[in-house]
This record gives sequence, structure tokens and C-alpha cells, in this order.
Amino acid sequence: MSEPAKAPEPTKPAEEAKISPAELKKRAKAEKQARRAAQKGDQGDAEAPPAPFTNGVPEEQQAQKQSGPQDSKPKGGQTKSQQQQKQGKPGAQEGKHERRGSQAQPLAMRPKVVQTAPPKEEARKNSKQVELFSHLYTQPRRHDISGATKDVHPAIVALGFQMSSYEICGSSARCVALLVAFKEVIQAYTTPSATSLARNLTSHYLSPQIDFLKSCRPISESMGNAIRWLKKLIAEIDPSTPEQEAKDYLCDEIDRFIRERITVTDQAIASLASGLIKNGSVILTYAKSSIVEKTILQAYANGTRFRVIVVDSRPLFEGKSLATSLMRSGLEVEYLPFSGITHAVKSATLVLLGAHSMLSNGRLQSRVGTAALAMQAHKADIPVIVCCESVKFSGKVALDSIVLNEVAPPEELLPPRVAPSQPPTTDRKDEGDDEESKVKTLHDWQDIAGLQILNLMYDVTPAEYIRMVICEYGNVPPSSVPVVHRLANESM
Amino acid sequence: MPSSTVAQTPSLSTYLKSLKHNDIETSIELFISLLKRRQIKNARPCAIATINLLLRVVGESRIRDAQQLIERIREVGRRLVAAQPREMTVGNIVRRVLEAVREVAERDQDAANGGDSGSISMPSTPISGEPQRRPDYRSRFSEFTPLQGISTQPQDMYARAQAPGERPGTSSSFMDNVAQRPPMASSVASYAGQAPSTTSLFSILQQHPPGRSPFATPPTGTQSPALKSSPTRSEESGADKFDMKAEAINSIQDIQQELDDVDNEISEFAQDHIHNNEIILTHTSSHTVQKFLMKAASKKRKFTVFHAEAYPNNHLETYATIINGGSANSQDADERWKPLTSMGITVILIPDSAVFAIMSRINKVLLAPHTVLANGSIVAAAGASTIALAAKTHRVPVVVLSGVYKLSPVYPFDTDDLVEYGDPGKVVDFQDGEFMDGVDVVNPVYDHVDAELIDLYVTNLGGCAPSYLYRIVADHYRVEDIDLSAKAEAEVEGG
Repeated sequence: MSEPAKAPEPTKPAEEAKISPAELKKRAKAEKQARRAAQKGDQGDAEAPPAPFTNGVPEEQQAQKQSGPQDSKPKGGQTKSQQQQKQGKPGAQEGKHERRGSQAQPLAMRPKVVQTAPPKEEARKNSKQVELFSHLYTQPRRHDISGATKDVHPAIVALGFQMSSYEICGSSARCVALLVAFKEVIQAYTTPSATSLARNLTSHYLSPQIDFLKSCRPISESMGNAIRWLKKLIAEIDPSTPEQEAKDYLCDEIDRFIRERITVTDQAIASLASGLIKNGSVILTYAKSSIVEKTILQAYANGTRFRVIVVDSRPLFEGKSLATSLMRSGLEVEYLPFSGITHAVKSATLVLLGAHSMLSNGRLQSRVGTAALAMQAHKADIPVIVCCESVKFSGKVALDSIVLNEVAPPEELLPPRVAPSQPPTTDRKDEGDDEESKVKTLHDWQDIAGLQILNLMYDVTPAEYIRMVICEYGNVPPSSVPVVHRLANESM
Repeated sequence: MPSSTVAQTPSLSTYLKSLKHNDIETSIELFISLLKRRQIKNARPCAIATINLLLRVVGESRIRDAQQLIERIREVGRRLVAAQPREMTVGNIVRRVLEAVREVAERDQDAANGGDSGSISMPSTPISGEPQRRPDYRSRFSEFTPLQGISTQPQDMYARAQAPGERPGTSSSFMDNVAQRPPMASSVASYAGQAPSTTSLFSILQQHPPGRSPFATPPTGTQSPALKSSPTRSEESGADKFDMKAEAINSIQDIQQELDDVDNEISEFAQDHIHNNEIILTHTSSHTVQKFLMKAASKKRKFTVFHAEAYPNNHLETYATIINGGSANSQDADERWKPLTSMGITVILIPDSAVFAIMSRINKVLLAPHTVLANGSIVAAAGASTIALAAKTHRVPVVVLSGVYKLSPVYPFDTDDLVEYGDPGKVVDFQDGEFMDGVDVVNPVYDHVDAELIDLYVTNLGGCAPSYLYRIVADHYRVEDIDLSAKAEAEVEGG
């Protein structure tokens, strides 16, 4: 391998004056070729690598497909292979003899072999991500237990899957479920000998749980505030407190938190907001907010006679469960798909919305579609009222729905599969056999280059569409959100 | 009854096939039942079916007199419009055919009169405000039709001056005055059907065929209307009765050709409106929009399309259009085309709820309407109003692509009446009995979008602002055809 390379070198000092320009030219040309090949390899061009090395390719592709849902792994693989590619290519190009020599070492060649395959897979995989939202595709959702560390408590595992399958859905519900699971987790904890509960619990015990939950579904703002509060609480525990007493203290505090900041708050907001509902009102709401549901039921229990319009959207159809529960309580409910918003605002007198979080610039982050509903209601001069506990208030700000959002798996948007009822060949002969293979459904979207599906979870409603925010501190305008946030979440 | 259609669901294609061997009355009845049962829906299939039916009606009628032919078409049109008044394209096509027939009749009458006093062959009475027959479709359109002002004639004004007490909308007996007052040699802007054919030197120099606006859709195969007028006058003096029907059929076939070409003509303007690196938002499975984008893509423009799925009424067709391009079940094999993604365009499918969220990054919104109203507003698939409003909020231009055949001269007041409500079973399955029993499920199929929310119309005649549409209406329809009811016709004839 080195011999042919050595051949030009000894001659070089002897005839340096003559050969070096030619040698330089040759080297420059080789580098240029290497750079071009590296570029081509990045783009996944099949022509750049040597064709006959197909052995490594299916293996690598298989490995790619296995690690499919986890984007971090293939990305690491890609950078590794890219580095090797860049090292390998100049080595291959410097002299054609080089390549033959290194053929004798199959191990060294394999990484070079599969250079283009992973970039191709990568390019295809990345092309299924909408570029505008590429910052939100950090971690694909976990759907099974593989890869979870042994530290994760079973209660957290169960909670994680409940959240990722939308069984527990909704900001308040997730927050309460998280805290309840944490109580169990804390009771199961034992302090290691060398350290104290205050220092060890958060970083070594709770953090893996939280990471697991994040891998199932990104945590909500309310969960974030609750975790911050809990961490602060843990850090303030006196190290001399006996372990069981400390754990009981934490569990009691968690109970108090749930009671004060969610349960009682919900009752307070419900009674405040239900006062806004008069006889003959037509309440318009979107998707399912637990606090709006409580408000409506409270108003109905108070004897007010009104009717409710529920607007719903794909893919979660949360509005349908709200409509069902309201109907069962005896209310008059009208149910519309999202396309019926124009019809809905014609007769509505009040819009009640729930929140995922209130942002500090007065904007509302809520289920995707809320902004459009608030806009239509604003145009029709219907007051839009947001019911939101202070635990959901956030210090973040956003101007659009793109920076702070959550992208759900696109598969959730696919329509339910329709099984072909008849064998395809009998009825369609007159259309020709070619058409059979060409007729695809949306389920084949992965195979179609350039087709992407975007499944956003949240959107941000501008503050001017919101008339009032009802929280446990009373009725506040959207501009007071940072004040309430500072009061409630930061000065505990 | 022919048994060949037993196994197929009635649709446009089966109807067109049956047109060939059914008699007229059966065809009309079949079309009416298809309209009532919504087995033919959306603008273009209805337009195609109407024009084919009217072609047969005219072709088979043994009527020689223009007025009788017009009356026959009006009668058929009345029945069709009554079957499904919200399918305004049916009425549009009927009125286009009437305009064509009237124009042919005028030309023949001019030839017959030899350009004598040669005034209007039909009364230019503004129609009085008669409500439509169907009780729940309240539309009064006489005083507020965009053509109202245009129909003013020097003769009219003279007549009205004579009878000051009369309401401007009623028919007056001005026919008597016509012979007395020499017609004014007016500059023939685009008074649809009202341009007087005069014998003055000026009119010879004008060379406009009477009754036809020079700005209307040119009949295919002719360079300019002016070239046609002079030779026909001299040739047809003897055999004009027979030729009138043939000419009428020719004009109707021109309209038919226009219907076939409309998508191609609209997509000719694609390059002017779409540049590189645009992000475009569109909605529903409209073929017009898809062909428009395909044309831009074929001119090597690279752009991104966000496609809202229009659930629950159109989402399956939208998926099919995105994935497969032209539908596999299309009427003729020429209608297939490749999907946009095959041209290298990134298409991103989004649910309707996400339109506001992404609107801040959209450069342009493309909408395809169901109907275009004369004041510049449209009736489009449900969800279009939300999209247009969000676009206005974010200052994104909204472009509406529509053929002129969708442009309706009717201008109803109550826009709520235009919205059709569809099958609630598409929103919630009827099997969900408890839910359907206790909850009122509503599924509006269309949305009315105000003219202020629309920035541009691109029609097969070119681009125009919403405020210009009334002129296009005036170019293509006649005032007296707006109201197809029998009462109006009787008034006109009796007056």
C-alpha cells in the first residue's frame, strides 16, 4: 500500500523543481475529486462510491431500519460515516493502487462501502420532516419499553404510555397524573448511604423518570411548572430530616399542590366563569378543556338554561367526548367539524376556551385550531374568554405557532385503513392493468418523494382576540399574564 | 328503459352516455333527479351535463322562431334551476346558452332587416323583482343586479321620462317609442345585448356585431367577432331561419369547448403568479388549482404547497389528488395527470385546524370556488372562509381560480341561503346512535367568502380584481335572462 506511494516521493526531492508543479496539480486535482465525491456522497448519489461493494449495504440499511424511529442514532451514524468517508476518499483517490491494496482488508473497506447508503436513507428520512418545524423533531415518541433504563419506576412507565397514546390528554390531567405518579416514586426511593435526600433525589432519581416521560411525549407547561416547584421543594429539605419523614412531607406537599393549584382552583374558576353564562346564551367551545367542561356543568347546575356548540377537529376528536358528556348531563349540544366554524359563530354569544399555557406576551397556546376559532369569533364580535389555572402560566413568549410547538407522529393523521372488499382484478379490467399498481392511498405516503404530513398539536392565539383570562386570581386581561406568572410560579 | 346502467351508480358519465339514446323529456327528468339526489354535484360536472342537455334540446327542437327557442330553453332552464337552486352553475350555463341564442337571433334579424331601423330585437326590460319559486331560497335581484344600471338605454330613459310615476324596475311600454326616436349612435362599450345596431356611418365604422360584447369570451375558432359579422349578413338573407338553429348549436358548442379548455386557459397564467421558493396554501381537491400548480412546476418553478385536507366532505378526494394526480375514475382518459410531488414539488398535508398556525409563513393562498357571485364574493368549500380570514389577518394575498362559467349574475341578499348542509353521517357515523340522538350534528358543505377577503381572480379571460367581475357578468349574460321564471317572460311579451 505504501510502496507505490513511496515511489513518487523519493523522486520528488530529486526533481522537485520540475515535478512539484505537476505533482501539486495532481494533488489539487485529487483533492478536488475527493471533495466532489464527498459532496456527492452527502447527497446520496449512487455513482460516487464504488459499485461492487454491496455486502455492507443491506446490513447497514437493516441497522438503519431497526433504529428507524430514533433519529439520534442514524444521525450519529451519519456523522461517523461522513468522517470516515472524508478520510477514506482522499486515501482512495491519491493513487489508484491504493484502492486495490486496501481491498485486501475488507474490514477497513466496509465503512467506506456504506457511505452513500446512509446518507440516502438519511435524506429520505429527513425529507419526511417538514423543514419549518425541523427543530421540533428532536425525539420520536417512544411506543415500547425497549431502551428505557432500569431506573424508571413502573408507575412512570405506565404514565408514559398513557400519555403517548392520548389516554391522559390535556394539560391539567397530565400535571395531576404526573404528581400522583411522583408520589409513588418518592415513596419507593431510598437514599444511598453517601449522600442526602435533598441532593440525590432530584438529580439521580427523578431525572431519569422525567427523561423517560419526555421521550414518550414532550411535557406540558403545567408539568414543567410542577416539576420546577417540586425540585425547589426537595432542595429546601433539611438534610437532618429522617428519610421517611422527608418522603411523607413531600407527598403531603404534592397533595396540597394538587388540591390548591388545580382542584380548588378549578372550582373557583368554574364558579367565576359560570356567572358569565346567562339564560339563553349560546356557548361556543373548541375541543375538550376540563375546566370549560366544569364551568358549563356548574352553570347548568345553577339552573341557567343555555345551549352549547362544540367544534371539533382531527385527529384527536376531543370535542366529541366533551359533547357526549355534556349531552349526558342534559344540555342541548350542537356538534360541528372544524369546517363548520363559520356556521358556529353565526349564533354564538360567548366563546369559552381552555389553555395549554398562557404565554407572557399575552398569547394563548392551546389545541391547534383554537386561534382560527378565536379569530372568527373576534370578527363576529363575540367575547372570547380563556379559563386557565395559574399553574399553566408561562414565562415564555412566542410570536407565532412555529417556535413553541409539538409535532405529533404523522401517522395519526392517516385515515383508517379500508380493507379492499373484492379482489382488485375482477372489476377493473377495462382500466388496464397498469392502473392497479398506480393507485396508491395515503398510507403509502412514505414512498412518495416530496410528500410530507404535518401534525401540529398547538397553536398560538394573538392576545387581541382574547377578551379576558379567568384564573384563581380573578379576571385578568391577557396583558397581566407575566404578573400572575411571577406571583404564582416564581415566588414560591 | 335501457338496462345497461343497472350496475352503475348514476353519475355524470352515465348521464352523458344515456343522453345519446334517451328522448329529451326523459333526459331532462333524469338530470333533474340526479341534481335533486346530489348524484351530480360540483360546478364542472353540472356545467358539462347542462350544456350537453341543452345542446340536445336545441338540436332536437323543431322550432324555427328565435323567441320560441328562447322560451323553450327558458322553460327547461327553469326546471333545472328549481331542482337544485344552490347549484348555480346550472343556471349560469342556461343563461349563457340563452345569450348565445339571442345573439344569433339578433344577428339574423339584422340580416333580415337589412340594417333598417334595426333596433333591439328583444325588449331590454329590467326584470321586476320576482322571488324564486322555491320558498326557502329568497333572492331578490332585480334592483340590485349589477346589470341594472347597464341596461339603461336612451330609449329607456325617454320612456321613463314619459312615465315618471312608474317604478324603475317595471316594464314600460317603450316599444312604441322606439320607432319614433332614432337610436343614438352610442359608443358600444360593453352593454351586454343592448348595443344598438344602427345604420349611421358610425356604426359601420364600429364593426361590432350587435348584441355581442367585444369583451366576452371569444368564440373559439374566430379571430375577432368583427370579421364574422359582415360576410354572414349578406349570405344568410335567404336561409336564415334554418341557419339560426345551426348557428345556435355552433355557439353552444363553443361554450362546450370553453368548458373543456377552462383549466388549461387558467393555468396559462400560472407563471405570472408563482415564483420560486414560494410557499402556497391550498384547500380541497380542485383540479383547476392542481393544474395551475402543475403548469408552474413544469416551468421549473420550485415551490412548496401546504394542502389543507378539507375534512369531512372532501378529504378522501384530496388525498387521492395529492397521491395520484388526476383521478382514476375521471370521465375521459385525457383528464389524468401526474401528481405535483412527481414534479419535484414538496407537498405538505395539514389538517384544516392548522391553517392559522402556519399562515404566518405562507406567501399566497389559492382557492377554487363553487360559485362566484357578481359582487366579487364566492361560495367555496367549507373552511375557505377561515383560510381567507386568516390570510387577511396575516396580509397574505388570496387568489381565486375560476372559470367564467362559475360566475353567476344572481346576487342574492341572504348569503346564508347559499350554504348547503350535507350529510352529518360524515362527521359522526350514524352507528353512534346515542350521540346522534342527543346531539345536533351539523355539516355545512360550503362557506361564503366576502369580496373584501379576496385579492385577485384568475379566470380563463385573465386576472382581474373582485371589483371588475360585474363587467364580466355583463359581457356574458343578458339582463332579461337573470330571472328565468315564466312570469317575467310573460310580462316582457305583454309589455
